[in-house]
Amino acid sequence: MVLCTVPFQVTARNIAKVLGLPDYPFLSVQHPIGSCTLPELKARAEIAYRQALPILLQG
Amino acid sequence: MAALAPKIHEVPDDLLAAIDYCYDQGWTDGLPVVPPVVDRVKAMLAADGRPPETVISHHPATGLDLSLHAAAANAVMAGCLPDYFPVVVAAFEAMDRPEFNFHGSTASTGGSAPLLVVSGPIAEEIGMNADVNLFGPGNRANGTIGRATRLILRNVFQMLPGISDKSTQGNPGKYSFCIAERARGNPWPLLCQAQGYAAGASSVTVFAGGGFCNVENHGGNTPEQVLGSVADAMANYGCITLGQSVVILAPEHMAIVAAAGWTRERTQDFLFSQAKRSVEGMKGIGKYREREYDAQHGEGAPRLVEKGFMHRGMTPEDILVTMGGGDAGGHSCFIPSWSRGRGSILQHAEIRKRS
Amino acid sequence: MQLYAPTSTTPRRKAFRAPALATIDGMRIGVLENGKLNAEEMLNEVAQLFVQRNGCTIRTLASKSNASAPAPAPTLVKVAQEVDFLLTGLGD
Repeated sequence: MVLCTVPFQVTARNIAKVLGLPDYPFLSVQHPIGSCTLPELKARAEIAYRQALPILLQG
Repeated sequence: MAALAPKIHEVPDDLLAAIDYCYDQGWTDGLPVVPPVVDRVKAMLAADGRPPETVISHHPATGLDLSLHAAAANAVMAGCLPDYFPVVVAAFEAMDRPEFNFHGSTASTGGSAPLLVVSGPIAEEIGMNADVNLFGPGNRANGTIGRATRLILRNVFQMLPGISDKSTQGNPGKYSFCIAERARGNPWPLLCQAQGYAAGASSVTVFAGGGFCNVENHGGNTPEQVLGSVADAMANYGCITLGQSVVILAPEHMAIVAAAGWTRERTQDFLFSQAKRSVEGMKGIGKYREREYDAQHGEGAPRLVEKGFMHRGMTPEDILVTMGGGDAGGHSCFIPSWSRGRGSILQHAEIRKRS
Repeated sequence: MQLYAPTSTTPRRKAFRAPALATIDGMRIGVLENGKLNAEEMLNEVAQLFVQRNGCTIRTLASKSNASAPAPAPTLVKVAQEVDFLLTGLGD
């Protein structure tokens, strides 16, 4: 499972396409990460977790 | 896996329409390109002589290869003459080393551009500029070799602005960033000699340059004064990192340094010892990272590292210093690197004329 | 007029995704962080939700020494043998 922030979605999709997986699903959270407080990280983690469940179970 | 045959695009025999076609294909840096017509690409390839499918560079993140053929097509588009091609090839051979990490340095928000410093007799042979207006426009070799580098990153390695090239602001060197080291009047061994290449050989040094900082000092007349202003530019809070540095001394500044008998090594030592910020100061602006301090002050640290300070770079050798520019003017420059922790270490390769 | 394409001649790769999991409960998780600020913290927060809600276990915490380069093949081979799925990320 690859987690990336919104501005990097386009980058992640491009690399996945070049590597032969154009439909590879990513977890998408709000930018940034580096300057976040712990509560902000926890909020992003909750969103990422919910996105991850269907990807893991349904591909 | 064997490489695919290069694709050929049939277009009407209309040069302006062909230029527009290149725009439509997304092959340009925003400026018009010379359409990569078959004959010109073949003439470019003849300047190397090896089979066109020869791979000279590999992109670590996408797995894409750079063949001589693709390099030649982009060199034509940039406006290179075949005589320039060995420089383009050597630059990518240097960037292919893992230490350079050219994916990171060309994809990152940091916005660096590969700076090419050409050293040795080839610079004069192909008419490169090492003199007045060194980083500016006006010289075909400087302009088009640097531009070919950018077009290859874009077209072959797919470093597309906003998609895979995520430079927050980029820098003007991303159009072209290529100079020659000035041999005329240079009191120090040329870089190609210092790098250990055989007499008569030329080299290209590649550096992920994060921008350009002019260092003006018309009043200083000692090495300490002139280099003190360079060191201060290197240590500004916006730029200071563990990264490497390129310093191009103006001939006026170099004359002051050399007249006092200072060698390149002494100059590097001075710049390294002076380009520093206190730990307190670094904490004050929120850039202090303990593991970076430990990396700089740990076992094997050079004797010039001062306790309680963060220096720019890890060692004095991390500062490439040479001379370039016109005879008049107290204007040197400092070019910061993109990163240190993630590669982009200065790399160099011999420029080989194979045909 | 004939123009050569200035693009790479590397053949397009064929790649396949791992099959979906039958369940998430009790799975072994790996975390691969890239050394950027808060990367480890962010990924661990996600991993902890799988631990709390699905009884997962965190088996491996691997680090990339270089955020801008692919993880070394030995790291990926080792992690693949130890875990059922891997959390990693990119960004700033």
